[in-house]
Amino acid sequence: MIGNLGEPIALCMRIIRTIVQILILYIFYYMGVFIVEMTNLPLPPSIVGLLLLVGCLQLKWIKVEYIQDGAGFLIGFMTLFFIPPMLGIIDYPELLSIKGTILISAVFISTLFTIFFTGIISQKIGMKEMARKEKGERGEDAFESNHLHH
Amino acid sequence: MKAIIFIISTVIVFYLMSLIHKRYSYPYLLPILTSTIILIAALLMLDIPYGDYMEGGKYIQHLLGPAVVSLAYPLYNQRHLVVKYKYTIISGIFIAMISGLISIFLMLVLFKLDDSYILTALPKSLTTPVAMQVSETINGIPPLTAVLVMIAGFAGALFGPFVYKIGKITSPISRGISMGSASHGVGISKLKDFGEEDLSIGSLSMGLSAVVGAVLCPIFVLIFF
Repeated sequence: MIGNLGEPIALCMRIIRTIVQILILYIFYYMGVFIVEMTNLPLPPSIVGLLLLVGCLQLKWIKVEYIQDGAGFLIGFMTLFFIPPMLGIIDYPELLSIKGTILISAVFISTLFTIFFTGIISQKIGMKEMARKEKGERGEDAFESNHLHH
Repeated sequence: MKAIIFIISTVIVFYLMSLIHKRYSYPYLLPILTSTIILIAALLMLDIPYGDYMEGGKYIQHLLGPAVVSLAYPLYNQRHLVVKYKYTIISGIFIAMISGLISIFLMLVLFKLDDSYILTALPKSLTTPVAMQVSETINGIPPLTAVLVMIAGFAGALFGPFVYKIGKITSPISRGISMGSASHGVGISKLKDFGEEDLSIGSLSMGLSAVVGAVLCPIFVLIFF
C-alpha cells in the first residue's frame, strides 16, 4: 500500500503528464497550420498534424507513451470542443426551410446508398482476400495472430 | 468575465448531458444533440448573439485542432487491423468516400441548390470535428455541415441494419467498413449489436475515412467547382 500522500501525488503527476502531452499535440497541430500556410494545400491543418503524428509514431521518432494520456483526454472530451462551432447553426435558420429539407433528405438517401453500395462491394473484395490468404499464407497465420495479441 | 461564464456554462451543460447519456444510451440523447439544443434555447431566450457567446466559446473550440491530431493515436493502435485486411479496408474506404461524394453531389445539383450548400454537404460522412474543418477549408458552412453529419449518423444508426438485410451484407468487415465510412461515430454505436469485430473495424474505418475524406473532398471540389 502507498501512504496517504501517494495518491494525490500520483494524481498530480498524471495531470501534469496530460498537460505536457496536450502541449506536444499542440506542437503537431501548429506544424500542420504552418505547413498549410506555407504550401496553400487545401487541407485542414489538424489533418496535416495528424498525418505528421502518425508518421512520427510509425518511424518510432515519438513513443506512444509520450502522447497517449493527452490524446485520450482530448478524444474523451472531443464532443465538448465542437459544441461552440455547432451553435453557429443559430445564424442559419434556413435549415428549417424547403432548402433545408432537401439537404437533409439528400444526406439521408446518400448515406444509406453509400452503406448499401460499400457493404456489397467490400463483402465481395473481402471474400477474395480471405480466400487468397487461406490458400497462400497458412504458415504466416500463426505469426499474425501472435502479433495481434501482444 | 462574460466569456468565463459562457465557458463554464457550456462545460456544465455538456457534463450533465454526458451523465444522462451514460445512464440512458439512446442515440437521440447524444450529448452533442442535447447540449446543442439546450444551449441554443438558452442563447435565444436570453437574447445573446452568437458572436458574444463565441467570446468564450472560441477558447473551447480552440482545443478541437489538437483533439483531431489526437485521432492519430487510435489509428496507430489499430494498424494491425489494416495489415490484416488491407485490400478490403482501403478499397472499401475509397469506394465509400467516392460513392458518398458523387451521390450527394448529383442529388443536390439535380435540385439546383446553391454551390455553398453543396460544399456544405460534401463532408457529411466524416466524423464531426474533421467534417467541420473540411467544410471550412472548402468554403462550406461549418455549423450546417455539423447538422448534416448528425443526419448521416442517424440515417446509418436507424436504417443501417435494414440496409444490411436487403443487401445481404453479413460479414463483420463489410458492415464495419460501410458504417464507419458513411455514418461515423453515431452509426458505429449501432454496430455494438452485431459484435466486437464490427465495432473495431467500424472505428478504424471512421478514422481512416476522416483522413482520406479530408484529402478527397478538396480534390473533388477542385475538379467539379
